[in-house]
Amino acid sequence: MHKPLLLNRRELLKVATGLGVSSVLPLSAVSANTLQTQAHIVILGGGAAGMAMANRLAARLKGGTITLVEPRETHHYQPGWTLVASGVWNANKTMRPNAQFVPRGVMWVREYAASIDADNKQVALANGSTLEYDYLVVATGIQLNYHLIDGMSPSLVGQHGIGSVYASIEGAARTNQAIETWLNSGQGKGIFTAAPTPVKCAGAPLKMTFTTLSRLEASGRRDAFDVDFMAPGAGLFSQPWVNEFVKQRFDEQGVNRRHHYRLSAIDPQAKQAEFTFVGPESEFTSHHELREAEFRRDDQPTVIADYDFIHVVPPMSAHDFVKQSALIAQEGPFRGEWLDVDIHTMQHNRYPEVFGIGDVIGAPINKTAASVKAQAPVVEANLLAVMQGNPLPARHTGYTSCPMITGIGKAMLVEFGYEDNFAFMPSFPFIDPTAESWAAWVMKDRMLQPAYYAVLEGQA
Amino acid sequence: MTISGILTIIMYALAPFAWLIVAGVVIVVGLHLLAYLRGYQVTRHRSLVALLLAVLIGLTALVWVPWFTNSTLSYVATVFDWLALIGAAIATFVVALVVLHPLSYLISDRLTDS
Repeated sequence: MHKPLLLNRRELLKVATGLGVSSVLPLSAVSANTLQTQAHIVILGGGAAGMAMANRLAARLKGGTITLVEPRETHHYQPGWTLVASGVWNANKTMRPNAQFVPRGVMWVREYAASIDADNKQVALANGSTLEYDYLVVATGIQLNYHLIDGMSPSLVGQHGIGSVYASIEGAARTNQAIETWLNSGQGKGIFTAAPTPVKCAGAPLKMTFTTLSRLEASGRRDAFDVDFMAPGAGLFSQPWVNEFVKQRFDEQGVNRRHHYRLSAIDPQAKQAEFTFVGPESEFTSHHELREAEFRRDDQPTVIADYDFIHVVPPMSAHDFVKQSALIAQEGPFRGEWLDVDIHTMQHNRYPEVFGIGDVIGAPINKTAASVKAQAPVVEANLLAVMQGNPLPARHTGYTSCPMITGIGKAMLVEFGYEDNFAFMPSFPFIDPTAESWAAWVMKDRMLQPAYYAVLEGQA
Repeated sequence: MTISGILTIIMYALAPFAWLIVAGVVIVVGLHLLAYLRGYQVTRHRSLVALLLAVLIGLTALVWVPWFTNSTLSYVATVFDWLALIGAAIATFVVALVVLHPLSYLISDRLTDS
């Protein structure tokens, strides 16, 4: 008895596209794009980067084994968290089952990775089992180091006036509630912070400040609220033009900027935060070289600030099991904290069978979903080249994008790359990256999530 | 970007509004079918009221389209913003006319019968 032919949306799309493409391309052209192999490829992490690579490699490789190590059942659209924390989106809008994106033929191991033995090409899992690989794609994302702020824990988000958009989707929703509570109190002081390390979506701390300012202004009682922004360095954003713009806009909107301070401790009950002066020489860039040990200096002057609301941005790094592996950078600005890859080829600098993609890599910018969109085709092309013993054909330009929300309802579509001191790389010639616009906001609000899912499916 | 990539993005973007699109298509097709069965012809029927109403509805898009995108008209600032919003208003006008034109015929036909 024949089973009925049931196609899900993705399969239907593939069939439709396949029919369209096959009508104009000879079969040999299609099959030439696939590589016959017996290799075992392990992808660590099923976030934006890992899932995009799983789909891309599943489409390009025939005969090999692809294993995706990802413990979570739910996929989170993290670029939407700032909108959730700003009260614009419902949290449910950012979640979909991972099963929707895992391609057929990929072995999905629902387990945490515990360690990487790069010399023996092995990955140990939390359940005690081991995966051997021929090629490894490290897409493990980022670790939130809330513990480096004394007294802080992600469980505090939403209580005692503490918000943190990064904590989780629940944390983003609770951040919105904390801001709402502060607004309803009718007055008080809000402190927004930044981290002294590279962070994912480096614009998020600024966006949270801008959207909260929008809400304060809409309340009609802006003058009753004080807003401070505490920055660990002299800068607020890595792209120079945007950095100056944000500083100027903060000044115009009555935000008190204080530079060279990092959040070092918090007392939730007293609603007090301790900031440590990290010195006038400290220059916050996204490749800032601040190590865990340096967080614990006792001889630095500190200031205690009262707050009614505080937005906490934790220090971030690669996950501990990556930091403890031989794959971590051994020298340079990313040493001990981030994956050691060539930022153009995405290949590991010492282990040629290993590639990195996404937030985990040591790169001066590039911890965004937009970066993954640009990196994924590079990793795909270069990994296949390594598998065939060919020179690496593709190079990543450092492209990244930040729809810089400057208020609820307007944004700037900021796109830039490594070259020329992070020069703009606009995708759309008709959208000025230096102009606040409704169209850029609409892209953030309506179009980037569909584009993100297309990236996950390896289609964009 | 590939054709399949563009299709994927469009499908994800439209998915939340699938019910609205289907409902709209059903209404438009139903109205046109009913009107055609009663002798309606697009090029022959003239209705100033339908035209004016469609223009008014199109103009309302200048307010509700920004609102629908969690924004406001005051943030429509750049040339591209205005082109996009005017495009949305024109599209709204066309959709309104496609609905109101046969509807006006059906109403006038009924008034004539009575």
